[in-house]
Amino acid sequence: MSLISLDQVSYTYYGRKEPAVSSVSLQIFKGEKIAITGLNGSGKSTLAKLMLGLLKPQKGQVYLHNCPIEKYPLPEIGRKLGYVSQRPYQMLFNTTVYKEIAFGLKWKGKTRTDTYRLTREYLEYFDLWHLKDELPYNLSEGQKQLVVISAVLVLEPEFLILDEPTKSLDKKRKKHLQSILYNIWSRGTGIILISHDRAFIKDFQGRRVHMVRGEVDCDES
Amino acid sequence: MKVDVRTKLLIVAILSLFALIYQDLVVLAGLFLLSIAILLAFRVPLRILGNMKYMLFFYLGLILMQSFFVHSGKPLLRWGDLYLLTTDGVFYGATIFFRFSILALSGLLLVTCPGGDLVLALVKMKVPGEIILMIQIGIRFLPVLKDELQNTLAAIQLRGVDLKKVYKRKVIKVYVSLFSPIIYMIYKKAEKLSILLELRGFRKYEKRTYYRDISFSKFDYFLIGLIIIISSLIIIGAERYR
Repeated sequence: MSLISLDQVSYTYYGRKEPAVSSVSLQIFKGEKIAITGLNGSGKSTLAKLMLGLLKPQKGQVYLHNCPIEKYPLPEIGRKLGYVSQRPYQMLFNTTVYKEIAFGLKWKGKTRTDTYRLTREYLEYFDLWHLKDELPYNLSEGQKQLVVISAVLVLEPEFLILDEPTKSLDKKRKKHLQSILYNIWSRGTGIILISHDRAFIKDFQGRRVHMVRGEVDCDES
Repeated sequence: MKVDVRTKLLIVAILSLFALIYQDLVVLAGLFLLSIAILLAFRVPLRILGNMKYMLFFYLGLILMQSFFVHSGKPLLRWGDLYLLTTDGVFYGATIFFRFSILALSGLLLVTCPGGDLVLALVKMKVPGEIILMIQIGIRFLPVLKDELQNTLAAIQLRGVDLKKVYKRKVIKVYVSLFSPIIYMIYKKAEKLSILLELRGFRKYEKRTYYRDISFSKFDYFLIGLIIIISSLIIIGAERYR
């Protein structure tokens, strides 16, 4: 049974003639590792937003656990699918790095002790514990990206959708992220990686969906 | 046919002025209908008019408030000595409703103008460059702000916060969270914009030239003539009605 399923999905942005995503059908299974590739403007990020229910397709249907995505409220989708936007600052809204990670845990109903333990665990894992009292906006772009990834991962979603995660990372941090993604995937969390970083995708070693002008050009394992 | 933005500005100015001058309900209702007719004539997308439904609660509140405080006229609803709804209250409430609606509807007319044309119109009207720049930035910033707000709202909800449930509990805390990235974004964009402006030599030279130009067509002159005739008729009609 597929976790996310797209059936002939099309989406055109308001005021545009060409569709950003055109008749895309995809089946994504639990625990899968997928890289969605393509040039700028090929519809990769739009596809991710459609999968998350952030955009409503004009044609076709997106399913999550075989149920139309619009039946789920956004917080419910967020608990199943963790999303890291290509603009990490849009996903930061707390006054310290610690509060940013703890935010979701508190809303999940975790106790103060559990929140502290998990927040510390994830911050140490991402080598961010020493920045716990910093204002997230003051961090470098790469650090912001890692804060958002940890804030999403700490909620233990079934799938992690990363939109251009390597955009602001140096070689060392890219390598670190690659090993983190492998560890997450090994623990059973599926990953959808949206990127045009060829070297990173090559090392990622998963199913590859290549997009050209809003359409799936090739889908190979 | 393409209408010059200055002609549209004239229509907006006249409608707004009339909405502020006249207090009579019948005149204001007429102006309200005229505003809708103008919007339809200028093919303003009706989708935008649909957004005005969110203002209806505000108007309803205004009518109730007027009714509560204006005790003259016949009481329509009372509770002991307390007047809940009076004819004059409804009358004043409706007047305010029409006045606000005309101002909002006439402003919508400018939605059909490209932002650049509006700037050029202000340049031709000899408005100082700094003020034009502020208006231009404002116009460009509004959709960006809306997008940022929606993105942050989505990001908060994707972290498991159900805003429908949170409303009763920690509403202020969540909405404060919502505004911190927006303020950060505004600050960052303003900072970058000021640097970019200086790099492109803003205020370096006294005279500034523009790539595009706007000019009145024969149709614009015809429309201006029509506006003058209709405005005169409204003034005469309103005076006679009074």
